[in-house]
Amino acid sequence: MKILVTVKQVPDTATKIQIRADGQGIQEDGIKWVINPYDEFAIEEALRIKEKQGGEVVIVALGPSRVEEAVRQSLAMGADRAVVISTDAAVDPAAAATALAAVCGEEGFDLILTGKQAVDDDSAQVGPMIAANLGLPQVTVVLKLEVDEAGHRLRAERELEGATEIVELPYPAVVTAQRGLNEPRYPTLPNIMKAKKKEVRRVSMDSLSLALDPRVTVNRLFAPPERPEPTILSGEPEETAKELVRLLHSEAKVL
Amino acid sequence: MDFSLSSEERMIRDTVRQFIANEVMPLEPEVLKNERNGRPAISDDTLKRLQEKAKSLGFWGINTPKQYGGAELGWLMTALIYVELGRTYVPFMFGGSADNILYEGTKEQQERYLLPTIAGDRRSCFALTEPGAGSDAGNIRTSAVKEGKHWVINGEKIFITNGNEADFCMVLAVTDRSKGPHQGISCFLVDRDMGWRSTPIQTMGEWSPASLVFDNVRVPEENLLGEEGRGLALGMRWIGNARWAIAARAVGAAERLLEMAIQQANTRVTFGQPLADRQAIQWMIADSAVEIEATKWMTYRAAWMLDQGMDNRHMASMSKLYGADMANRVVDRVLQIHGGMGYTKDLPIERWYRDMRLFRIFDGTDEIQRYIIARNLLKGHVKVGQD
Repeated sequence: MKILVTVKQVPDTATKIQIRADGQGIQEDGIKWVINPYDEFAIEEALRIKEKQGGEVVIVALGPSRVEEAVRQSLAMGADRAVVISTDAAVDPAAAATALAAVCGEEGFDLILTGKQAVDDDSAQVGPMIAANLGLPQVTVVLKLEVDEAGHRLRAERELEGATEIVELPYPAVVTAQRGLNEPRYPTLPNIMKAKKKEVRRVSMDSLSLALDPRVTVNRLFAPPERPEPTILSGEPEETAKELVRLLHSEAKVL
Repeated sequence: MDFSLSSEERMIRDTVRQFIANEVMPLEPEVLKNERNGRPAISDDTLKRLQEKAKSLGFWGINTPKQYGGAELGWLMTALIYVELGRTYVPFMFGGSADNILYEGTKEQQERYLLPTIAGDRRSCFALTEPGAGSDAGNIRTSAVKEGKHWVINGEKIFITNGNEADFCMVLAVTDRSKGPHQGISCFLVDRDMGWRSTPIQTMGEWSPASLVFDNVRVPEENLLGEEGRGLALGMRWIGNARWAIAARAVGAAERLLEMAIQQANTRVTFGQPLADRQAIQWMIADSAVEIEATKWMTYRAAWMLDQGMDNRHMASMSKLYGADMANRVVDRVLQIHGGMGYTKDLPIERWYRDMRLFRIFDGTDEIQRYIIARNLLKGHVKVGQD
């Protein structure tokens, strides 16, 4: 089966983020970029399905030229080829989903896999919106996925609070991956060497002629306020307990 | 001039870093415990399991030619990998490699010694050093005398890495004293069951080499490796150009240690201030970072020169000299930043400290490196200011 995996490049979770002076984004200099970890689960799952049933795994990514690195890493894990929608613009989730859905539709597929969310903005919207754009069934936050090729159906286990929901659906469909779905593989040395030679097709965002009016605009990014100095009460327990109640009531106003 | 790594180089480096962090570093506490109880750092089974896992990812015989099933990576890539391996003190090495002089063997010798070594079924050691001959290798006394279809070897070797574990040895012995070291020393492949014995040498570090004794060891004439009388040239080809590999390991170790120091400086508070606010500590951190960076680029250059087919021995000596000293300075500062805790056996710093000292001694002491560097300049082999 032909599986598309949409991949986002995000700052490494160990990177210390600095907000740009204009408050419109983060400083990108010196950041180590990685494949969104949830997308890695999606790539791994796609490769496992391909290994079991044959087919093709195609990476679809969107962003500036630096995204190429995440794409090569995905190819080094074993994906067959990639399509990159190139744009330097900041793209909101709806616009990203519209563009990705357009390219996925044109590529053709049996299944679209992606991470349940990206760890940079945590919006968790792009996967579901791709499904909506393409009029496909979707299942999100998936922990286990089985493909029944004969019946042309998927069986997915998804995480709910304190429970597991089992969903069956026909495909083509969109599935978003949760941590625990699998353990992503290391790229192998031969695959790293091959990654350079694999096809990466570039499509400019503008050439898609899509209406991409942003539905979400960023007004200002700011860091959480620094935690204030703690107040430490000392003295007899009877006195400090009274003082604590007074502070919680009249200063913190939580009582 | 381009100082950036290619996307493959970065991906290979990152994969090795991930492998070391996920598969090898978790063994560190066990290694400390084993060593402190006099056991081998990791069992042969554990090493084999790790090597097999790495092999399944294609990390096998990283420098072994493709025709022998290896990955045949370049030397700069190898230097990048050695930096990553140097970040842990777990004695892990990718499998599938053999000492390069084994490739000089006849087809028959290759089948008996080279191929099984690459496959991990045999283990070799290289025996040149003697109590009276180190970098002055021409002074070796071990002799080989022809008796019919055999050579009879007598002598003693010392500080032989893997000498305790090896089941065969590449030994250098004098075959014709009258011809001098460059025409009168030969190299032999000698199985342990031909009669040589090994005794472990305890050191201040965790490297435990062997002394070997050859007492009338009879070696069939077909076990002569390379040409008779040309053994020293064979051995020297093996030594000089890989000294940068030690500098690469020094970089990895020093980077890991500096990370520990930075964490300690940011978390340990004395007199109401983190250590990080103290200028004395800041200078130690700054100096360490500068010296690591300097070593790194000398090392990469030495490896890169080898990739270009250039004579890199001068640069290899410089990187080895500077890198070995650098690692000793860095580990000393990092231990100091950790104070009393740094001196305990609860932390691995004292282990690095003991280990790093060897870097200034083996594969040519600091003094030998300086001698080589100075000689190259004084005799005009290398010109000042020439790049």
